[in-house]
Amino acid sequence: MPEHATNLSAPTRLGVAEALLDLLRDSTTEPRTDTQLEALTLAVSADLPVLLWGEPGIGKTAALTQLATSLDLPLTTVIASVHEPSDFSGLPVVGDDPAEQGIPMAPPDWAVRLVRAGRGLLFLDELSTAPPAVQAALLRVVLERRIGALQLPPGVRIVAAANPPSSAADGWELSPPLANRFVHLQWAHDHDVVVRGLGGTWPHATLPRLAPEKLSEAVDFARRGVCGLLAARPGLVHRLPGGEARRGGAWPSPRSWEMALRLTAFATAAGSSRDVLSLLVRGTVGDGPGLELLAALDRMDLPDPELLLADPAHADLPQRGDLRQAVLDAVVAAVRNRPERSRWDAAWALLVRAVETGAPDLVVVPATTLAALRREDWDVPASIERLAGTVGLSRRADRSLARATRTARDTARAGR
Amino acid sequence: MTAPGALDRDKLFAARLHAARARPYLSTALFALHTVVSRQVPTMAVDRHWRCYVSPGFVDRTPVEELAGVWVHEVSHLLRDHHGRSDRVAGERGLDGPGERLRMNIAADCEINDDVFGEGLVRPEGAVGPAVLGLPEGELMEDYLRQFRLGPRTQSMSWLDCGSGADGLERPWELGADGADGLSEQERDAVRFRVAQGITARPGNAPKGWRRWAEEAFHAPQPWRELLGAAVRSAASGPGAGEDYTYGRPARRSAGVPGVVLPSLRRRPPRVCVVIDTSGSVSDAELGSALLEVTAISRAVGGRRDLVTALPCDAAAPSVHSLCRAEGIPLVGGGGTDLRAGFARALRARPAPDIVVVLTDGQTPWPRTRPACRTVVGLFPRAGRARSWDEDDPDHVPDTPPAWARVVEIG
Repeated sequence: MPEHATNLSAPTRLGVAEALLDLLRDSTTEPRTDTQLEALTLAVSADLPVLLWGEPGIGKTAALTQLATSLDLPLTTVIASVHEPSDFSGLPVVGDDPAEQGIPMAPPDWAVRLVRAGRGLLFLDELSTAPPAVQAALLRVVLERRIGALQLPPGVRIVAAANPPSSAADGWELSPPLANRFVHLQWAHDHDVVVRGLGGTWPHATLPRLAPEKLSEAVDFARRGVCGLLAARPGLVHRLPGGEARRGGAWPSPRSWEMALRLTAFATAAGSSRDVLSLLVRGTVGDGPGLELLAALDRMDLPDPELLLADPAHADLPQRGDLRQAVLDAVVAAVRNRPERSRWDAAWALLVRAVETGAPDLVVVPATTLAALRREDWDVPASIERLAGTVGLSRRADRSLARATRTARDTARAGR
Repeated sequence: MTAPGALDRDKLFAARLHAARARPYLSTALFALHTVVSRQVPTMAVDRHWRCYVSPGFVDRTPVEELAGVWVHEVSHLLRDHHGRSDRVAGERGLDGPGERLRMNIAADCEINDDVFGEGLVRPEGAVGPAVLGLPEGELMEDYLRQFRLGPRTQSMSWLDCGSGADGLERPWELGADGADGLSEQERDAVRFRVAQGITARPGNAPKGWRRWAEEAFHAPQPWRELLGAAVRSAASGPGAGEDYTYGRPARRSAGVPGVVLPSLRRRPPRVCVVIDTSGSVSDAELGSALLEVTAISRAVGGRRDLVTALPCDAAAPSVHSLCRAEGIPLVGGGGTDLRAGFARALRARPAPDIVVVLTDGQTPWPRTRPACRTVVGLFPRAGRARSWDEDDPDHVPDTPPAWARVVEIG
């Protein structure tokens, strides 16, 4: 009887298990904007090597699989840490007459298959736990796209992944030259996505598409932004990471700026959000220079002071206070550069418009500066009446500041 | 002047102007706040999207100079990322619920209020400071959070509400992520970056707390253990340290290429010598923790205990100890340090060490030339490093660690 039962139930038990697994696998997808996946897609389309930093087990491989599907590329995964340097630089194979024919360096099978396919996504996992000699060999794969005697075709894109030093107990850090060649993306899991996914609904990201009609405009935009910034801030062009904390991460160099330029153009052509661009640019030239580039791009988005002066009545001022003040300051600076009666009047009209459409305290500084630009023969425009409230506001702030300073001094004198 | 119940915009914005004049380096952040009139907020509050909710009644009954202080206070919550840090603390320590969030708000207020007022800003009435809770000044929110509980002392603070911008807990009156006029994450970072840049450009104008914030705003300080580990590891694993090609044994792969003699890569575990500064200025606790750390790391890179040696060093370096007896190493010394003696003694050892790790507070002369091995310096922080003073030589400035060493700040 027992014998009989085992014979019958062994396949059935597995069959039941199979059914349960099928049920667990059964999940749906929902559309969701995924900033980090969008950034990854753009960097891969831009043909730049990407390095994903993330704790083990948070879905880097899953993201790569989704990316490969959406770009319609076959995925090849290579765990860097279990290979030897010669697996990437090629194994010597002796032929008949080595002195005459040389010794070719034979590539491993996965490389041969990649080249034969002509296209694919090469995923180098566990990069930071690979020993330095292996990392050095990988440098050639990533940069020159060569594996032994094989040259990877242009259709192959490379993505690497690494665990952050804090979680990789036996990891090595990346050397600055290797780090400088990657777009570093910090990979984090989204709590909501995980919870919903385990509940049976995984996100389905709609990935960016480059708009063919925007290409030249995007290149122009990216060049103006990057060149404008670097012309004004030469110190940002090259800065080796100084502190221990920033080794192995993104840092600015002419090479990484070129990557930043390319990524800006791609993000612009794809119509991606600034958050996506922020991830990409900061992952390429580092946080500080990246944020400066983003600020420079933001300034390029602000209305041109000359256009505002030409038609103050229909001026469209930014809603955000700090940007609005930057625009008004730029307008006053433009008047100072070329002081003419009509421009001065137009600037007053703009200030009036600013007071009527937003917070009044922003106008105080530009108004004071503009008033100081007055020439003797220029009459004060009638519209200035409407700025009277601003003057009161400024006085009120002055008085309040004086009171506060006095109070502070009194408290200090009284010894609290 | 204004209808009862309506917001006195002039007063509110005069206060913001006052705040911007008193703290020019914060003006970008102050102006970037989007004001929302709300009758449900007790006073003023911010959400994580940089909206500032203002109660008209509160504006009416508060003097302009106090309002200016509140503006700076609220914007400080956002600049210092209190909502993000609260969420992180909540996740790490498992603190949740309204009570815990109130505690976070109080702790965040303590962090801000101890150095934000004065110099043209009046402390608003009822502002919570560490003194009210009997806590020391100048600490971070995370530290304050460990030091007090809700109780009679905090009774008067239960109305305190700076919004989700201060403690990460969404309020019913907030507009949320989908509401209008919020700042996106990138915009928030850009504003914070701009402010940090303004402070680092003219550090003289900003108090110490703000300068510290500006230095760390975009570079979270990394734990020294990881940094020291990475430095030792890369020193131990770099080419030349303990590994080389040898023809003494065939390579594993020789079988695949008959007729060719391939060298094999042989690795002997690296020898690490830890030079320990035992001068009076380094405490035993500091030394103990750093020594343990180095031992653990060198074991992780394949070092054996008998290959790790320790060398206590003050003005002289008497003897080298094997770490087999780590417990028994006499960390004797005190007085001045001369690390040059320590280096000389460490390099004299045969076989020579592959790596020298120096644990010191840096108040020492350094060797003039680069030693013939990799050097990692674990540096204990000294508050007055720049102002160190020598009785015999008032102009004496202690040398900084040389450029050829990899330096990790410990502590």
